Amino acid sequence: MTNTLLFIVLPYLAVFACVIGSIYRTRKEPMSYSSLSSQFLENHGLMWGSLPWHLGILLILLAHILAFVCPGFWQTLTSNQVLLLSIEAAGFGLSILCLVGLVILAIRRLTSPRIQAVTTPMDLFVIALLLAQVALGAAMAVHCKWGSAWCSGTTTPYLWSLLLFQPDLSTIEDLPLIAKSHIVCAWLFILIIPFSRLIHLFAVPLEYLFRPPQNVVWNNSRKLKEECSAFVAEDTRRHFLKAALGIGFGAFLLSVGTLNKVFNFFFGPRLSKKEETELMEVKLAHLESTVDQRKLELERQASNYIMVAALSELNQSSGKYFIDYQMQPAIAFKGKDGLPLLISAKCTHLGCTVGNKVDEQGRILCPCHVSYFNIETGQPNAEAPAKAPLGHLSWVIMDERGSILASRNLEGKTACSVNQQALANGKVYIAKSQEDKT
Amino acid sequence: MDIRAQVSMVFHLDKCIGCHTCSIACKNVWTDRPGAEYMWWNNVETKPGTGFPTLWEDQSHYKGGWELKGNDSNKKLQLKSQNKIDSFLKLFYNPNQPGLEDYYEPWTYNYANLFEAEAGDDQPTAIPVSLITGEPMEIEAGPNWDDDLSGSTLYAENDINLEELSEEEREQLFEIERVSMMYLPRICNHCANPSCVASCPSGALYKRGEDGIVLINQDVCRGWRACISACPYKKIYYNWKTGKSEKCILCYPKLETGQIPNCFQSCVGRIRYLGVLLYDADRAAESMKVPDKALVESQRTAFCDPFDPKIIEAAKANGISDEFIKAAQLSPVYKYVMKWKIALPLHIEYRTMPMLFYVPPLLPVMGKMANGIYTNAMENFFTSLDKSRLPMKYLARLFSAGNEDIIEYVMKKLMAVRYYKRSLDMQDIDLVMMNKMMREGGTTPAEAEEIYRLTAIPTIDQRFVIPEIQREESIESSCNPEICKGSCGIGITQPPARGF
Repeated sequence: MTNTLLFIVLPYLAVFACVIGSIYRTRKEPMSYSSLSSQFLENHGLMWGSLPWHLGILLILLAHILAFVCPGFWQTLTSNQVLLLSIEAAGFGLSILCLVGLVILAIRRLTSPRIQAVTTPMDLFVIALLLAQVALGAAMAVHCKWGSAWCSGTTTPYLWSLLLFQPDLSTIEDLPLIAKSHIVCAWLFILIIPFSRLIHLFAVPLEYLFRPPQNVVWNNSRKLKEECSAFVAEDTRRHFLKAALGIGFGAFLLSVGTLNKVFNFFFGPRLSKKEETELMEVKLAHLESTVDQRKLELERQASNYIMVAALSELNQSSGKYFIDYQMQPAIAFKGKDGLPLLISAKCTHLGCTVGNKVDEQGRILCPCHVSYFNIETGQPNAEAPAKAPLGHLSWVIMDERGSILASRNLEGKTACSVNQQALANGKVYIAKSQEDKT
Repeated sequence: MDIRAQVSMVFHLDKCIGCHTCSIACKNVWTDRPGAEYMWWNNVETKPGTGFPTLWEDQSHYKGGWELKGNDSNKKLQLKSQNKIDSFLKLFYNPNQPGLEDYYEPWTYNYANLFEAEAGDDQPTAIPVSLITGEPMEIEAGPNWDDDLSGSTLYAENDINLEELSEEEREQLFEIERVSMMYLPRICNHCANPSCVASCPSGALYKRGEDGIVLINQDVCRGWRACISACPYKKIYYNWKTGKSEKCILCYPKLETGQIPNCFQSCVGRIRYLGVLLYDADRAAESMKVPDKALVESQRTAFCDPFDPKIIEAAKANGISDEFIKAAQLSPVYKYVMKWKIALPLHIEYRTMPMLFYVPPLLPVMGKMANGIYTNAMENFFTSLDKSRLPMKYLARLFSAGNEDIIEYVMKKLMAVRYYKRSLDMQDIDLVMMNKMMREGGTTPAEAEEIYRLTAIPTIDQRFVIPEIQREESIESSCNPEICKGSCGIGITQPPARGF
């Protein structure tokens, strides 16, 4: 509970207050936004206090930020023994430098009557908090050695978890009390920025590096003129930026597919061992079934006859589907003469498979667009969308020994042995035609 | 050509009596408040002397103004106090900044004690109390501590402008009973090439385009104090209470309504003149890139003739109104600086192109007592210049960056004017003699008459030619005057609005 308060609630509160408070104060209370220097009132102590303090704390903060922002780079640095030793030594040295500066500043503030005239209770709190924070930092350098190395496994992930709104205290729970206090003090420090003189952190005058030496403000018609020309320049720039952005974004969208592939190749999700095995199994099964099908096809192509059914299995009312040499569906019936009647089941209209049930008028129906085909002739009915007749297939009937009992060629010529008994026991085949053989 | 108008000033030092009325007029209106007690936007110094703050002219310590750097073909001006990089280090501690000791600790007296003291044997006293700490204090310095040489030559001897004087000359200068002095009233020079503006890290300082007044935006100032060391005249003061810097504002709220600035209006000796000068802003920094001794002449090349139609056209293109141009034509400053060339800038070797000019004081040995009789050797009128009580070298160091020829020219002209007037009143000089004087003084009777009129008997309208600045109309062109109505002075700078 305490941990949640100090390491999750406090940080968010502090950063929120700091951002909102600082924006409010810098915008709405500019008269209170100053470095509040007291060099004018006391010169000597300030030099010995302010210079070491500011230089020390700047370098230390820089190292802290580096460790947080580039944890990888920082880890590389600290995994080198010599560098680690140097970083630790420099950190300790700088914290002592800061401490000395702060103590001088504190003494100066407490003993100089002139400085006390401009000291607020908040100033004293700030200096106490900073003293505590720097002392904790120095103590860490002594008691919890190699902090610069282990921070990348503890505080850095903690801070990142806060930043990504998935607070995770697991990495810092077991830290020593000194380190934990150091973190809490840091959050307090951020919290009081907008409410104290610490606001001067945001006053760093970086724009001074780039501005021209003179600064002229007009309050007559030239002001309008300058504003107009500034607007025109700005507008041109804005148009250019807009166009560049548009084209850039378009190009980006167009390349998203490619980029996605490239990205996935390098950074895409990797399958676990189990998932990979499963995927391979599915692929293998798929390949195997294809192999079976191809084998069957090959076998059929190789054999001279393909069995359709035993003659006895066929009847007149309901056909039996089979696949011919061209891998097309066909239907086998028993004709009125008791001999097989083999007809293509591929509708001549759009290629649907025709039904196998024969109606009273001796027709089968293609269910797709309602074409009735006469099974004797293969002709469609007059109204049917299909115009061409279904073709008949040739067949042979063979007995168990393989001798041909009866056959019908494509022209419809039937050769038939009279032995009805033997015929009934025979099996119907389709034969490989001359074209199929080639 | 970028013609700008500058409300600039001339102080005629011959007329200054050192009464400090100007300083008080300023103090009562602008700096009589917590944090500003020690500030004297206007102060009057006794020269020779160390000034306020102490030894402000010592730029080897304070590093004010610009330095001329680079070779002949590529000269450039660089701030003496900082460059862009080390200005960041100086944010934390600025070694060139004057401290309270260099000014003085402001105090009041415990007057209440006079009424509230317990009955006792002694007369109750009002002891001095610090205005900063509120504690009793010893008074060790004040704003005009070396006023009138303070009864000793101690302060005067430390004046750094005496550096070039020989030992003998110094002895002469400080001979007891004969020691002489002059007064130097100082306000912000509202420079055309200001080093304070260039030094401000926050960009809070700016020069107003329409009248050249240099101001500090209190909302933007962050109290880095770079301007305080960069200003060679030490005319920017740090308010220890607000943590912001402040400076002379040339009473712009008064100027904008056609009134005379406080220190000008209150001047007892009527030494002050105010008027518009037109100058070419493109030449401002450029004209400061010449050797020290040529600086006065070079500065004049940046000023423009307000009667030249080309200049008028260029001025109008910059939004300068007809009223401004008319004021520039009537300007007493233009006459003193450009027409008669007898007003000189103070310490132009700092290269900030100051826009406040001084007519140097004429302190020659006019006559002497011999055997109890006062005699005036007329023939030696000009030769007595060499024996002037303030050495020419000293004046040259103050007003012409060491160029004695310029001082001599001014002195001769001033003396010729006196000579001319005397000849009219006393009728004791013959025509030949007078012509000789006029020639040597580089002037004519007509010019001498003009100089005399503007120097001795000017009306208030001749001394202060303040253009109608028409602030309302200017503001109207860029913002809604109804919104600006509530903001004035150095107080509210935001439109009044409800907070939350």
